[in-house]
Amino acid sequence: MPRKTKEQNDLELRKEENIEKTTTKKAAKTPKKATSTTTKKSSTTKKSTSTTKKATTSSSKATTKKSTSSKDSDKKTTTAKSETTTASSSTKKKTAASSTRKRAATTKKATTTKKSTTTRKKTATKKTSNKKEKVEVVEYYDLPYRYNQTVVKVLAQTPTNLFIYWDISDKDRKNFEKKYGEHFFENTRPVLIVHNDTIGYSFEVEINDFANSWYLNVADSKCDYRIELGRRPITKTQEIQDDYIYVSTSNEIESPNDHILFNKEQKMVYFKNVKTGEQISKPISSISFIRNMGKIYNIYDLYKELYQNESIEELYDLSNPSSGNPSSR
Amino acid sequence: MQEKKGYVSFVLHAHLPFIHHPESDDYLEESWLYEAISETYIPLLTIFQKLVDEGVNFRVTMSMTPPLLSMLDNKLLQKKYINYLKQHIELSGKEIKRTAGDERLNKLSHYYFDRYSNDLHLFKDVYKCNLIAAFKHFQDIGVLEIITCGATHGYFPILYVNEKTVKAQIAVGVQTYERYFGRKPRGIWLPECGYVPEADKYLKEFGIDYIITETHGILYADPTPIYGTYAPIVSPQGVVAFGRDMESSRQVWSSINGYPGDFNYREFYRDIGYDADYDYIKPYIAHNGVRVHTGIKYYRITGKTEFKDYYNLQWAKDSAERQAGHFFDSRNAQIENLSKYMDTPPIILCPYDAELYGHWWYEGPYWLYVLFKKIYYDDCNFELITPSEFIDKYPNMQVATPCRSSWGANGYSEVWLNPTNDYVHRHLHVAGDRMCELANLYPNAKGLKKKALNQCARELLLAQSSDWLFIITNGTMVDYAKKRIKDHIGRFTKLYYQIKNDEIDEDFLKDISKKDCVFPDIDYMIYR
Repeated sequence: MPRKTKEQNDLELRKEENIEKTTTKKAAKTPKKATSTTTKKSSTTKKSTSTTKKATTSSSKATTKKSTSSKDSDKKTTTAKSETTTASSSTKKKTAASSTRKRAATTKKATTTKKSTTTRKKTATKKTSNKKEKVEVVEYYDLPYRYNQTVVKVLAQTPTNLFIYWDISDKDRKNFEKKYGEHFFENTRPVLIVHNDTIGYSFEVEINDFANSWYLNVADSKCDYRIELGRRPITKTQEIQDDYIYVSTSNEIESPNDHILFNKEQKMVYFKNVKTGEQISKPISSISFIRNMGKIYNIYDLYKELYQNESIEELYDLSNPSSGNPSSR
Repeated sequence: MQEKKGYVSFVLHAHLPFIHHPESDDYLEESWLYEAISETYIPLLTIFQKLVDEGVNFRVTMSMTPPLLSMLDNKLLQKKYINYLKQHIELSGKEIKRTAGDERLNKLSHYYFDRYSNDLHLFKDVYKCNLIAAFKHFQDIGVLEIITCGATHGYFPILYVNEKTVKAQIAVGVQTYERYFGRKPRGIWLPECGYVPEADKYLKEFGIDYIITETHGILYADPTPIYGTYAPIVSPQGVVAFGRDMESSRQVWSSINGYPGDFNYREFYRDIGYDADYDYIKPYIAHNGVRVHTGIKYYRITGKTEFKDYYNLQWAKDSAERQAGHFFDSRNAQIENLSKYMDTPPIILCPYDAELYGHWWYEGPYWLYVLFKKIYYDDCNFELITPSEFIDKYPNMQVATPCRSSWGANGYSEVWLNPTNDYVHRHLHVAGDRMCELANLYPNAKGLKKKALNQCARELLLAQSSDWLFIITNGTMVDYAKKRIKDHIGRFTKLYYQIKNDEIDEDFLKDISKKDCVFPDIDYMIYR
């Protein structure tokens, strides 16, 4: 099922800017650094499309710190609209964030902007009154939108559900465009190829360029899976003559097992003395083993029957996250 | 007298995420620790002491996670806990006056007043604010086995994409244990019982003998274990795995007839924090005026009804004793049945959240006390044992690889990887990779850089805590969990760039080191 979480949608509106948000004092003092980080940033964010409110959604406890920072983030989002202005806006952000810190006054002057004035004023008053107190670092972070690296990662959610996320770096994107024409991404569609390396089959799933992660259902548990990200041409052009263009491959994982194995071909049972390391084997054909094993596993069947109609309800409030044990609900 | 034919092993998993906010008193989440101390940890210590005083030979295993140990050891949190108790003593003192007209209620007010006063006395005068030493004492005299856990309860089946991050969770878990208990742990509670075979080599490297898995961690093992969960198995890499017993778990947990649902037991959801007049209770609830649990609860479950009867201490005790008897008889019958089919004595492993006992199930610690006493004095076919003792006694075990599993809903990773929280994983993975990159770029750093690198490791570990993902799935306190992920990833990323640009901001480093002051001995070189 293709999907993007609300958070992901939200995050699309951001850039990898958490570094700047709180890099206060120094950044402002040394504009050189500000510029360099910004360069890094703009290169990582090809998608600085328009955004709005978003940043303030991550609310939590009402602390003074909080309110300052959300204002700060408001500013951020407004300025994020245009990539070209990032350099100056990031300095603004920095300044605003740093305003409660010592020596903030100096930095403030250097980068006065309309937007941040109010915040600064407020916090500056606070600051002076606390002059002798320790340096207080005001922090506000957003998760980076992306890391600008070509990556495909797969995780097993269940024995038959895989979760895949991916990204293609700007550099690789450019290389593709260089090789296959500037409309490469418009003229091709993304696909995921699922390789089951245990049984030895592959199948393909069509995805779309709006998603950056996917849940995939697979038929076989306890198998090694690898996911390949690639693209297929929508229409062949002069530059795109291939049927398939490889992008990247994921890590390999083994999906969990979901049943009692009872391997009939198994002839021996191996035992180990964990103190001495000595290993012994006993033939599985020994009648008592088979009989007893049946008895023991019958017990589990019985439990299954006993509890088959039982859904473990939310008996307890789990606001205390001592564990994810379903039974503690 | 019956012959001893098998064993029962209780494993209580004590864990809370690291919550430490020196910058503010407004974080409600800090009270999770205080509630757990008053309702679980002190009651457990009390029953252990009582059993020892009464000459009862018992065995119990507890995992005490590194974040919990760090919080119990934290001076600020100890001070805040004392304040918490003083507030509760004051409130229950007021309650005694308020309920003077109602004899039954007034008796309960007195009970809470005495209980919180006793907690204060125990915490300050008896334990000298050091609950870790109190637990260690029982380990030292041989009735309690304490095991460790992943450094911050990071969920291995998600982290193992970068194995070094799993290794670090194990390494720091073991180091923290050694710091507090003066020896190496023999066992580890895998966070959320999340098992991946890839972790085995690191578990061995750090001297871990055994792990606990969910039932199907054993039943679906490869090859199939011939004794099911009634005997441990050993993985090809040499890690012993004990599986949770289904029957005994269900008896305690079952939503239909589980013990904690007894009608005589205390009703968790009726708390004066919600019931009392707002102006009266305001000083004792959240600073921002939101009603929260105070811990003073006057009603019993009563039945499936809105109309709740007052809690009766004696009736609750009677129920706990009756249920302890039921559990005792059930294990006796279970072992009688199983021992017929097995060459070695069966072991029934009963793992639970420690916080179930006392916090969720108020009468849980008393139930445990009665049960342990019965096992010691009454005629039965089994004994209590710790997993370590069992391994030492019966070192021969079947070789099999446990199944990838967890104890979360449906037994795999859905709780920690689903559409509500899957946006987090790429950040955890990148931060893990970046930490390894830093460790390789700057080996054996000194001075400020070393401090910054170590703090990076702390931030990464804190971001990896499975609790944040769990809370997001669970839907309560979500904002806090999301903020914690952002904060730790944010701090990590900022430091990462500062280190790489050789522009470490000392004030910033100092500030976050004070807030995230977990694992003082950490060495970032574990990521190399």
